[in-house]
Amino acid sequence: MIPHDLLTMYSAKAVEYLIAISFLLLFIPFWRFVNAEKIPAPAARRVPRWLDTVVEWFTVPSQVYFHPGHAWARVDGADIVTVGMDDFAHKLVGGASAIALPAVGSHLGQGEKAWSLVSDAKSVDMLSPVDGTVVAVNEQVAAPRVRSPRDPYGAGWLLKVQAPRLTANTKHLLSGTLARRWMEEVCDTLRARMSPDLGQVYQDGGLPVDGMARDLDPANWDGIAREFFLT
Amino acid sequence: MNERVDSSAGTFSWPRENLLMGMTLREYLRSLVTPFNAVAGLILLAGLPVIVYRFAYGLGAVTNLSQVTPWGLWIGFDVLAGVALAAGGYVLASTVYLFGLKQYYPVLRPAILTGFLGYFLVVVGLLLDLGRPWRLPYPVVYSYGVTSVLFEVAWCVLLYFTVLSLEFSPTVFEWLRWKKARRRAAGITIGVVVLGVVLSTLHQSSLGALFLTAPTKLHPLWYSPFIPLYFFVSSIIAGLAMVIVETAVSHRIFHDQLSGGKHVDIDAITLGLGKAASVVLFSYFFIKLLGLADGGHWNLLNTPYGRWFLVELLGFVLFPCLVFAHAVRERDATLVRATAAVTVIGVVINRLNVSVIAFNWNVANPYIPSWMEVLTSVTIVTIGLITFRWIVNRMPVLREHPDYQGMH
Amino acid sequence: MRVNRRTFLKLAGAVGVTSLANAPSAVEAIGPRPDADEGLGMLVDTTLCRGCRGCEAACSESNGLPAPAMSGEDAVFEKERTTSPEAYCVVNRYPGADNGADPIFVKKQCMQCVEPGCASACPVKALEKTAQGPIIYNEDRCIGCRYCMVSCPFGIPRFEYAKALPYVRKCTFCVHRLKEGQAPACASACPSGALQFGKRKDLLEVAKTRVYQNPDQYVHRIYGEHEAGGTGVLYLSAVPFEQLGFPADLSTTPYSQLTQISLAAVPFILTLAPPFLLAIHAFGKAREDTAPTESDER
Repeated sequence: MIPHDLLTMYSAKAVEYLIAISFLLLFIPFWRFVNAEKIPAPAARRVPRWLDTVVEWFTVPSQVYFHPGHAWARVDGADIVTVGMDDFAHKLVGGASAIALPAVGSHLGQGEKAWSLVSDAKSVDMLSPVDGTVVAVNEQVAAPRVRSPRDPYGAGWLLKVQAPRLTANTKHLLSGTLARRWMEEVCDTLRARMSPDLGQVYQDGGLPVDGMARDLDPANWDGIAREFFLT
Repeated sequence: MNERVDSSAGTFSWPRENLLMGMTLREYLRSLVTPFNAVAGLILLAGLPVIVYRFAYGLGAVTNLSQVTPWGLWIGFDVLAGVALAAGGYVLASTVYLFGLKQYYPVLRPAILTGFLGYFLVVVGLLLDLGRPWRLPYPVVYSYGVTSVLFEVAWCVLLYFTVLSLEFSPTVFEWLRWKKARRRAAGITIGVVVLGVVLSTLHQSSLGALFLTAPTKLHPLWYSPFIPLYFFVSSIIAGLAMVIVETAVSHRIFHDQLSGGKHVDIDAITLGLGKAASVVLFSYFFIKLLGLADGGHWNLLNTPYGRWFLVELLGFVLFPCLVFAHAVRERDATLVRATAAVTVIGVVINRLNVSVIAFNWNVANPYIPSWMEVLTSVTIVTIGLITFRWIVNRMPVLREHPDYQGMH
Repeated sequence: MRVNRRTFLKLAGAVGVTSLANAPSAVEAIGPRPDADEGLGMLVDTTLCRGCRGCEAACSESNGLPAPAMSGEDAVFEKERTTSPEAYCVVNRYPGADNGADPIFVKKQCMQCVEPGCASACPVKALEKTAQGPIIYNEDRCIGCRYCMVSCPFGIPRFEYAKALPYVRKCTFCVHRLKEGQAPACASACPSGALQFGKRKDLLEVAKTRVYQNPDQYVHRIYGEHEAGGTGVLYLSAVPFEQLGFPADLSTTPYSQLTQISLAAVPFILTLAPPFLLAIHAFGKAREDTAPTESDER
């Protein structure tokens, strides 16, 4: 039976309190270890020297956070993030569109409408990847009929946002391996769309053209875009 | 025999749509011929007759139980481990509805289904093990042994099974398209979830408390006044680990159901659950140490049973705890899944230790389950897996019902 | 529901204090009830037992069981026997002191504990402690869970594994004879006076007197006086009880008390947990509702 006589209990209680205090002391570093956030260090210069990884047809750089609606955010330092639309979005909707960007000072919510792509009197919204306030807008891309830049993650940026809840926001964003895997799934879906019976036709080579949505369905390109942009 | 039957032709048939998954009967039967079904079929073919035999000829004919060892594999595995591994239901329900972490909703319904089926199989296991199974309802309707922990377990399990049915009913109503029923069922969710957590706390710990009445039979390293607390905390661990494992397996097997829907970040969910498991395992390790200190049997750690105790404590508690922490930090969802599998095994080992292995540890003829006991346990698990698959293939468990997108 | 943190803490504190004030009195309850000794019992003086096994025969006859195995054969003592579904009491032989000159015979049956583990463990009160003392078995209630067998430190209840419709069997102190005002069959049949039937407190007196008057003849301990909180059947012996097959490691805690704290906690958890959990839910919602929504200000 368990000895709970007075004499044995002195040493037993001493050990128990020791264990409890050790637990409390060890728990603090343990908690920090488990919760360690691996937010990438702010990119020193916005020079496109990051490691680009081309997933199937679309570039998915590794230091960028992606929203499932195909917007991206990159941490520039302190609370400021640069926001744009990813390579896939550019190629899907194409350079013929104009982009209606929100004004400086507007508030954005993660997962809520941020800007729209306008063309042929149709408009497709895209969702913001982070919560925050717009502090700068890329004037060059806002102008209509601009050829889509070859640099959707660099010169093709759309907004700069001051994001106070960055850590919480990044929890819902994809990056690194996850983002690449997501892009693979997107490619699968797109492939299935292109030729449902043929499926694997585009597997090796054949880069998609700009404005794929219009190619797939000229009348309903906005519906297709909305499907991918989750709007 | 090569006629192509167009199953979408003709009038809408409810049984064909909802029971045969849109196939004709012939197509459906043909689709049943798979390797998994073949193995499951063999198991059932062997196991069901044994079950009939047990009812016809009694426990002595089928089990290796004895007057000295009245409880064996059926209690240790089917009942104790079964209840522990079904704990994902209340853990995920409280995570989503009480702690408000809505991002875990995608794994909530499968967890509740696992819980529901788990408890159902526990009842089946009990029906096998009881000497007079038709009298199973007696503690609830006939004679009330209120001084008994087993009485409280019986009531709690009955009530909790009801709660689980209510928690799962919105899924069933969505499948049946009974809108009003579904609305009513969804309306009582919070109350039902609270009740579920409370009842689970009670019976998970009480199943441990059962062994408090055997201080001379359970090995001193496992016997502790804190067994109820240990069972409760390890049930949380078991629930988390089981949800991780079950999600991984389901998403691979039912892949076709998921590709159409909204993108669900299963890896993020897995990592989140792994982090929780790590923290709970860490705490559990320390409360086990406290129990060791309270018992004062440090010297027993150097005996064969003591070494087995250390295997359980270090290999299946501390080790998974640290690996989970590392995997979460490295965002390695695959490692989390592997560790979860080890953790599940660890909980099963713990339940078997307390009820069968370290129980009657000093008896001359130690109990070893008979092949029939093992076979019936495997049969019960197989029935559970088949039922799980049947339900997931037809009801909106892994996917959203088109009428109820985004409604939680 | 808007519950702010301060209100909740005040409420929780109040509930906590009141619940502590009404804390379960399980702590005081460890020990048999004061009138336990009024219950019936039996004194087994192993120094007087000659191993005739008349008690076994009488028990079987009175309970409608088959005649004891190997009646009249000395070989029956070669192996240590235990009770069985068809033998509620058995007599075993052990080597005596001084190299087994005079072997010692010990009758083994239900100890009729004052605070029995079996009866407290039974979820349907099939095994039931009567006010008189004996622990009886209500066949009509038993579900065959065998938890009583787990809970008995003496390993007495036996299960009818061989039957498809099984029951649990053990000595019930011949309650059917007690009703007629007779002593249990074994005590009535004992020719040597080794078995004495009466009230537990009287038997304790008798036992203590015997030990006091013959200090060299007995070990100075009455087995069952305190073991497992006290048993109705008491034993006297000339040699240490461990040598006679008695469990040596029993504490004095009554078995019925082993799960009391666990059980006492149940109503408290049922009361405290729901408001606590609902409060967590409400806080979460309150935080969500009052979080600034940027989308309003576009």
